[in-house]
Amino acid sequence: MTDSSFILKHPMQVRVFHFILAVSFLTLAVTGIILFQKPLQEAAMNTVIQIHVVAGVVMTLDALAFLFLAFDRVVMFTKRVFTFSGNDLKWFTVLGGYPQKILLHKKVEVPPMGKYNAGQKLFGIFVLVGGTLLILSGWALWTLPHIIPHGDTSMIGTIHLYVSWILILFLLVHLFLGIYMVDDFKAMFLHGRIPYEDAAEKSPLWVKNDICKIG
Amino acid sequence: MSEKKKPYDYVESPFMLTRREFVIIGGIIIALLAVPVVWLRSALVNRNYYIKARTKGLYQDDVSSKIRMSHENPAIARFYKEFAGHPLSAVSEELLHTTYVNRMNALS
Repeated sequence: MTDSSFILKHPMQVRVFHFILAVSFLTLAVTGIILFQKPLQEAAMNTVIQIHVVAGVVMTLDALAFLFLAFDRVVMFTKRVFTFSGNDLKWFTVLGGYPQKILLHKKVEVPPMGKYNAGQKLFGIFVLVGGTLLILSGWALWTLPHIIPHGDTSMIGTIHLYVSWILILFLLVHLFLGIYMVDDFKAMFLHGRIPYEDAAEKSPLWVKNDICKIG
Repeated sequence: MSEKKKPYDYVESPFMLTRREFVIIGGIIIALLAVPVVWLRSALVNRNYYIKARTKGLYQDDVSSKIRMSHENPAIARFYKEFAGHPLSAVSEELLHTTYVNRMNALS
């Protein structure tokens, strides 16, 4: 392949969805931590709650819009993150070669991956399941606490809290690696395309099995 | 008029997901999304369960009680006859009646 070849990795609808998701989830994470720690005065805490709610509504609308307008992408993403092979286990044994590369400046052999590596698949599963739980539990806590039985409200609050912490911890790793892999970062936030050679190195199975030339 | 050249040369194959896979995975997603909605509906329908159970218990206690009205209770009758005089007397007001205290602040 020539050096100038590019693959469209993230179509427009995915980029728009991801951008709104990133902005709303970061807002939700920061305001959520403030609500959990309660470091501010009452008036400021009330403002934080309102920001949290607005960001939650934005994230919900974003998720619903993507679900209905790009259902095929949702199905494709679900299939990819729930498809495992022996390579995924091997990937975890070397953690994708990132610690060796970042800390020791060494390149180790990494098993061939598809569009998403094993770590991204794990993150994807947590985003799918955890994100859904967060949205549903958030709405229940916001709109129905006076109707739902006390025990159930308490259980929903606990689920909301623990899932939030898990996703926030995952997000920190996702943010770091997203910025570290600058080509993918630019593809997701700007133009959607990545160099063919880069994709062939990081996602050889994706390039081999799922890619076709246009025109 | 020439078509504008796209800034990429490759895309994902539209045939990477078969129709069968699409229907199965899509169906599972929709079914899983329906589960919490069904649970929420069930929780809302049964939200008065505790109140109804308590009401039922009180009625059962009432049915099985030998003395079902307070003025037929010999202990109460004796209390008024020998000590308090009559209902709403000064002594019974002082001993049996209570006052309202707002404890909402203690909850927060």
